[in-house]
Amino acid sequence: MPVIDVVNLSKAFGKKVVLDGVNLSVEEGESLVVLGGSGSGKTVLLRCILGLFRPDAGHVTLEGKVVQDLSRDELAEARKSIGMCFQMAALFDSMSVEENVGFALTRHTKMTPAERDARVEECLNMVGLKGTQKLRPSELSGGMKRRVGFARAIALKPKILLFDEPTTGLDPVMTDVIGKIILDLKTQMGVTSITITHDLKSAFEIADRIAMLFRGKCLAVEKPEAFKVNPDAVIQQFLRGDAEGPFLDDPPPPSLGKRPSAVLPAP
Amino acid sequence: MFSSLVGQLGAAILDIITETGDFVTVSARSFICVFRLPFDGRRFLYQLSAVGVNSIPVVVLTSLAVSMVFAVQLSFGFRQFQAEGLAGQVEGLAVVRELAPVITGLMMAGRVGSAMAAELGTMVVTEQIDALECLATDPVHFLFVPRLLASAVMLPLLTGMAIFVGYLGGYTLLVAVQGQSAYVYGQDFYKLVGFRDLAIALTKGLVFGLIIALVGCWRGYRTRGGAEGVGNAPTSSVVTSSLWILISDFFLTKLLLV
Repeated sequence: MPVIDVVNLSKAFGKKVVLDGVNLSVEEGESLVVLGGSGSGKTVLLRCILGLFRPDAGHVTLEGKVVQDLSRDELAEARKSIGMCFQMAALFDSMSVEENVGFALTRHTKMTPAERDARVEECLNMVGLKGTQKLRPSELSGGMKRRVGFARAIALKPKILLFDEPTTGLDPVMTDVIGKIILDLKTQMGVTSITITHDLKSAFEIADRIAMLFRGKCLAVEKPEAFKVNPDAVIQQFLRGDAEGPFLDDPPPPSLGKRPSAVLPAP
Repeated sequence: MFSSLVGQLGAAILDIITETGDFVTVSARSFICVFRLPFDGRRFLYQLSAVGVNSIPVVVLTSLAVSMVFAVQLSFGFRQFQAEGLAGQVEGLAVVRELAPVITGLMMAGRVGSAMAAELGTMVVTEQIDALECLATDPVHFLFVPRLLASAVMLPLLTGMAIFVGYLGGYTLLVAVQGQSAYVYGQDFYKLVGFRDLAIALTKGLVFGLIIALVGCWRGYRTRGGAEGVGNAPTSSVVTSSLWILISDFFLTKLLLV
C-alpha cells in the first residue's frame, strides 16, 4: 500500500483549474520529485496532501486514510507524522531558532526541557546549524532560514517529509548545500518524501522517481534515467530550459528570444 | 440593468451572511478552545502585558482629556441655570456608566484590535498559520485564546482605571480650575452612582474586550492577498469592532439598566 496516494485530484480557484485529475503514489521510503513550471499546481498538490486545501474532486490518502474525511483532531494527529518545509521557511518570527525547532516537541511530547534541548541541537546539527539556537529568524540568511525550517520539520521524527521549492531564490552553492541536506535526511531517516523543485541537479540526485506537472495534469512519473529521455516535447523543453516550445502559453517574440552570441567573459 | 442590480444586491447579502456565519463559527471555536489543553501560560502573560500594561498611557490620556472636556461642558451648561453644583454628580454618572467603558473600548479597538489583525494577517501571508497547522497545532487555540482571555481580563481593569482617571479629570477642572469644594466634588461624583453602575461599566468592559479580540483575530486570520490584505485587516478590524462596541453599548445599557 502506498504511503501517499493521490487519486484523480482536481482543484480549481474560481475559473482557474490548477489540478486536473492528477494521479500519483509514493511508496514507503521513496523520494518523489515533482517538477513543473510556476503556477502548474505543485504547491496546491502539497497543500491538498496536508489537508490545507480541500480538493474539488478526487482524494488523497495518507497511509490508507482519506485526508478530507478526517476530523480536525484526526488530521492534526496525521500531521504529526508529516514534516513540511515551506518555500520561504515560514519560521515563527516571534520565536528564536530554538523555540521554532522545539515547537512541536513542546506541544506534542512530554520531553523534559533538557531532552527537548538535546533534540533541538541534534536537529540543528543535521542541517549544519550548530550553535544557532538563540538567534532570531530576522538574523538568519535565506539559506539558514530554510535549514531551520528543515530542522523544525524533522524534530518529531516524521515518516513523511514534504519540501516546497526548498532552493528557490538561493545562490548555486547554497542550492547544492540544501540538495545535499535533503539527500542526507533521506538516507539517515529513511523517510518517504515529496520534493518540489526547479533545481534539476538536486532533483536528479535525490529522486527515486520524478513527476512532471503541466497545466494541472501529470505528464509523467518515472525513474530519473527514463525521465531524462522522455520524448514529451514539454519535458524536453523544461530539461533544456529553452524559451521556445510548447511549455509557455505566451512565448517571447523571436527577436527577444535570440541569445547574444557571447555572454561570458573569456577565462 | 435591473436584474444586474438585484444580482449585485443578492451577492452583497450573501457575502454578509457568509462573513457573519464564518465569524460566529470561528468565535464559537475560540470559546471551545479556551477549555482545551495545553494552556499556554507564557503567551497569556505576554498578551496581558501587550493588551493591558502597554495600553495604560493611552487610556489615562484619553480618559483624562474626555473627562475634563465633559466637565467644562457640564459646568458651562449648568451655569445657565445657576446649578453648577450638579456638574460633579452628572460627571460621575456619565464617566462611570458611559464615558469610561466606551472610550476605553474604542481606544483599545484602535490600539489592540488593529495590532492583533496586523500580526495575524502577516502570519497568514508569510505562511506561519499554515506552518502551525502543519505542526498539528490549531491556530485558533494557539493564537486566539491568549488574546481573547487577556482582553477579557484587561478591558474591565482598564475601564476601572479610566473611571478613576475620569474622577481625577473632573476634579482637576471643577475643583482646581473652577474652585468648587474638593469635599463636595468627592461626595457628588459618587452621589448618583451605585455599585450596580460600576458592575455595568465592568461588564461593558468585558464584552468590549471580547469583541475587540474576536474581531481583531478573525480579521487577521481571514486576511487574503499580500501587503494590501495585511493593510486592510487592521482598518477593517477597527471599523467593525468600533461599530459593534457602539451597538452593543446601546443594548447592554438598555438591558442592564432595567
